[in-house]
Amino acid sequence: MEALTIYLRKINIYHTSPCFAEAGKIRVKARLSDDISEIMPYLNRVVKNANYNEHAPNLTMFKEFRMITLEPENLILIKALNDTDARQVLDWLKDLINETAERKTEIEPLYASKKRPHPLQLYTWLPRINCKQCGEKSCLAFAALLSVGQQSLDRCLPLFTDDYQEQKTVMIDLVDALGHDISNYIDGGV
Amino acid sequence: MAVYFDNAATSYPKPEAVYNAVEYFQRQVGVNPGRGTYQKSREADGIIFDTRSALASLFKISDCSRIVFTSNVTESINLALKGYLIKGSHVITTAMEHNAVWRPLKVLEQGGDITLSLLKCPSGMAFNPEELPELIKKNTALVVINHASNVTGTIMPIEKVGKICRAHNIPLLVDAAQTAGVYPVDVQVMHIDLLAFTGHKALLGPAGTGGLYICEGIDLMPLKEGGTGSESLLEMQPAHLPDRFEAGTLNAPGIAGLGAGVKYILEQGVEKIRQHEIDLTEYALLKLKQFPDIVIYGPQDAPSRTGVISFNFTNIAPEEVTYMFDEVYDIMARSGLHCAPQAHRAIETVELNGTVRISFGVFNTQAEIDFLISALEDLANA
Repeated sequence: MEALTIYLRKINIYHTSPCFAEAGKIRVKARLSDDISEIMPYLNRVVKNANYNEHAPNLTMFKEFRMITLEPENLILIKALNDTDARQVLDWLKDLINETAERKTEIEPLYASKKRPHPLQLYTWLPRINCKQCGEKSCLAFAALLSVGQQSLDRCLPLFTDDYQEQKTVMIDLVDALGHDISNYIDGGV
Repeated sequence: MAVYFDNAATSYPKPEAVYNAVEYFQRQVGVNPGRGTYQKSREADGIIFDTRSALASLFKISDCSRIVFTSNVTESINLALKGYLIKGSHVITTAMEHNAVWRPLKVLEQGGDITLSLLKCPSGMAFNPEELPELIKKNTALVVINHASNVTGTIMPIEKVGKICRAHNIPLLVDAAQTAGVYPVDVQVMHIDLLAFTGHKALLGPAGTGGLYICEGIDLMPLKEGGTGSESLLEMQPAHLPDRFEAGTLNAPGIAGLGAGVKYILEQGVEKIRQHEIDLTEYALLKLKQFPDIVIYGPQDAPSRTGVISFNFTNIAPEEVTYMFDEVYDIMARSGLHCAPQAHRAIETVELNGTVRISFGVFNTQAEIDFLISALEDLANA
């Protein structure tokens, strides 16, 4: 959705290179047409997985498995699949920033740094039976991939059985904090 | 005055912005997208992305990376059919298909790879979607439908087909050569899994452009392998779209022009363009029906068809009519079989050497139709 008042006009890619973090993916650096410092604490509030450092200032966030580090007038996107993917993410980000700016008066800014759930914290609440139904070798491996957005909670089939109801509720909260889309789980899906 | 009534073949003229976009790309950008790390290369990347993104808006596709560029709708259809169908598949299609669908299907059939069933289109009218479930077999792998006939303009009931296909869990491939850009196409509402389109007709782009939308969950084998400017160390094609299906240098100047064409459509609104087409078609049908010696094929009302009208004089061969149009009146129209012998079999015009076909575009006017009608009056009275 296009915001009514354009706060950030453009994100211009100025450097593309292979991703150090993951072979086959790309890393993109871009300049922002407008300084977004003022909006960062608001993004920190609305984006569940965002982490804001007021002193730098910068804000890191995830879009599924991709990581974005925002500075006032620059950004770095890592683990994008290809150029098209990177540009789609940047379009999404531009809209998100403009929509957040548009709704600024309704949002309470958050200046504090948030803690992302640690992979071991995720592991604690998994069934820990290493059933491999998710496609990973162990629940620990699943937890690690879950924490970086490379796995989806609904791939853990035992968790969605009656035996793990409490664990499921906690896990949904944890992946929510990681920024996963939890609408399927809440609506009784899976 | 010169009158162009062959928009079903390719649209002409194009919006001014299309010429400008191609020229701008050639003169001011000029470099290969996706292959370099310099500023102009990134600008080329951005232009390609903008076209992809505009097409996604037009067809209501949420993820534009699911649109891959091809050189035309024929390539898109070949990619969909040959990339998806496996040996032993059964395919349902219609009796009105263009050769772009018909020939690849017949090649696969004659090679013993697939079997075919046809939805009948009596007298060039739309098929009855209620007949579709009766044709479905256990091994039906794909339904392939021409959204609108390039011969009669007949619009097929895609939305109803989409619902039936979805209920039977069979993917739907739509050949939107005649509708993309002039008829609202919504892949969600119509349950379209594979949408093949060309860039140079109603999308108003240059020749040599086209694309295929591939719904998430549908895995195709690429038609070609080669350089993508990404994941170069991989010996196989990259798994991610659009790179998986875009081996080799893209037609970037063409795609730049296509982007300008699609933006023009988005600005005008596809519904408004469709209404203009209905108005012209309605007017032309009304005038043509006043000739006792003219037979009009397919649906007789404008809303059931695109801006394509096939007709014949009962006493003048179609090629004679278009010869006179060209020679005396400077009217550009097509006669013959229009690469769709199947459709001509349905309207029984193969023996007549086909039909005279006129097809309207966004820049045609009622005055041009009046000029055509006066030419036809001359011919009728000759």
